[in-house]
Amino acid sequence: MTTITRPTANSGGMLGSLGRLIAKLYEWHWYVLPPVVGIAMMAMIVGAVVVAPREAVEGQVQRLMYIHVPSAIAAYMAFGVVFVCSLMVLWKRDMRYDAVARGAATVGVLFTALMLATGALWGRPIWGTFWAWDARLTSSLLLFLLYAAYLLARSLADELDEQAARYSAVYAIVAYLDVPIIQMSVRWWRTLHPQPIVMRLPGDQQLPTSMLLVLYAGMIGILLLTTWLIVLRSETERIGARATALRATLDRAEGN
Amino acid sequence: MSSSWAVLEKDLRLLWRHRTGWLSALTFATISVLTYSFAFDLVTAEVKPLLPGVLWVTFLFAGTIACSRSFADEVEQGTFDALLLAPVPRTALYVGKVLANCVALLAVEVAVMLLATILFNVPLLTPALVLSVAVGTVGYVSLTTLLSTLGAHVRAREVLLPVLSLPLLVPLLIAGVRSTSAALDMPNGDAPWTLLLVVFAIWSILGSALLFPLAVER
Repeated sequence: MTTITRPTANSGGMLGSLGRLIAKLYEWHWYVLPPVVGIAMMAMIVGAVVVAPREAVEGQVQRLMYIHVPSAIAAYMAFGVVFVCSLMVLWKRDMRYDAVARGAATVGVLFTALMLATGALWGRPIWGTFWAWDARLTSSLLLFLLYAAYLLARSLADELDEQAARYSAVYAIVAYLDVPIIQMSVRWWRTLHPQPIVMRLPGDQQLPTSMLLVLYAGMIGILLLTTWLIVLRSETERIGARATALRATLDRAEGN
Repeated sequence: MSSSWAVLEKDLRLLWRHRTGWLSALTFATISVLTYSFAFDLVTAEVKPLLPGVLWVTFLFAGTIACSRSFADEVEQGTFDALLLAPVPRTALYVGKVLANCVALLAVEVAVMLLATILFNVPLLTPALVLSVAVGTVGYVSLTTLLSTLGAHVRAREVLLPVLSLPLLVPLLIAGVRSTSAALDMPNGDAPWTLLLVVFAIWSILGSALLFPLAVER
């Protein structure tokens, strides 16, 4: 511990030691993240199925909330990572950020699909329909389409093509900045989905404490899972790019 | 400033000499409006409520066709690299292309609105409607032109551009349809749709002008 925080001559001050702390922590992710994610996910499943009380009006189907709401938050988090990494691709011209952006986009699309699927299953018994053109549903669907398009563009281009990475980064930035405008327009267009009930002041809380605790456990579980998946995907993308580069070098060598 | 003007002049000349792009967009738009009129004529006698949707879907698809090859020809001929080497701000390269595409699409849109006026018997060339269409055109052309730069680098770009651009353009489509409905004296809700069109146009042109130089940097 002391070796990490101790300032040295070439540490570059606070930021440098913080960077090294993060790097040190990242080295340990392979040992730390899988068991932690496993425990958190088990806690979430047990919490959602056993601990949480049955909702009086909606019944058992309401338990979908413990996966629906965290999935939405996980998707937003992943897309935030895509946005930041895309900015870094343009700024630092480092293809490693592109690998992280691609990995995070894949995870984000996965969780958006999970959110839409659980939402549809929940909506059928409660609203009487799988799908409605409500503002939130519409904007979530568009979010899914935007990042699916990003992944499509990225997979059609060569993964070593730095120019294509820059263009995709531009698209990811435009897509992220488009989300508030989409939300405003569809809110004006149609507005069935309940307003957020989790992020409220303590005095104004609508969920009973037992449900809220399970929901928080679900959020922690899914956020850790998201982190783990993003790390895995990004490393896969990076190793894949390296393999492609090696193959290209080999082909060139054999050609000579 | 004079360099930006030179770029615009170059793009307009290119537009005129290279007519296939916007002529195919015009042909597509004409056939699209005709097809809609055949399709809806069987369903309902009252086509006026459907018109805003018909117009804007046609405009967006025509825009995709017209903008898709904005930079493709220049990249294929190798002149794009020459332009990047030229002592011209890169934003000017983008703005020239957007203005040229806007000119082409406004011509296509006026033709479509004339045709729709005749086919659907609804006077469309009113100031309010022309204004909302013009603002909307700036919005979608600026974004589609930015995204078309991506197309020059990937396979299957004809499919990719609409897949990329249409989800982004949904706010513009909703606002355009609603403000067109308002201009045709139809119920459209009480939101300021024309304002949203203006906001979208400003957002897309500013964002694209900032991001274009970063995208084409080598």
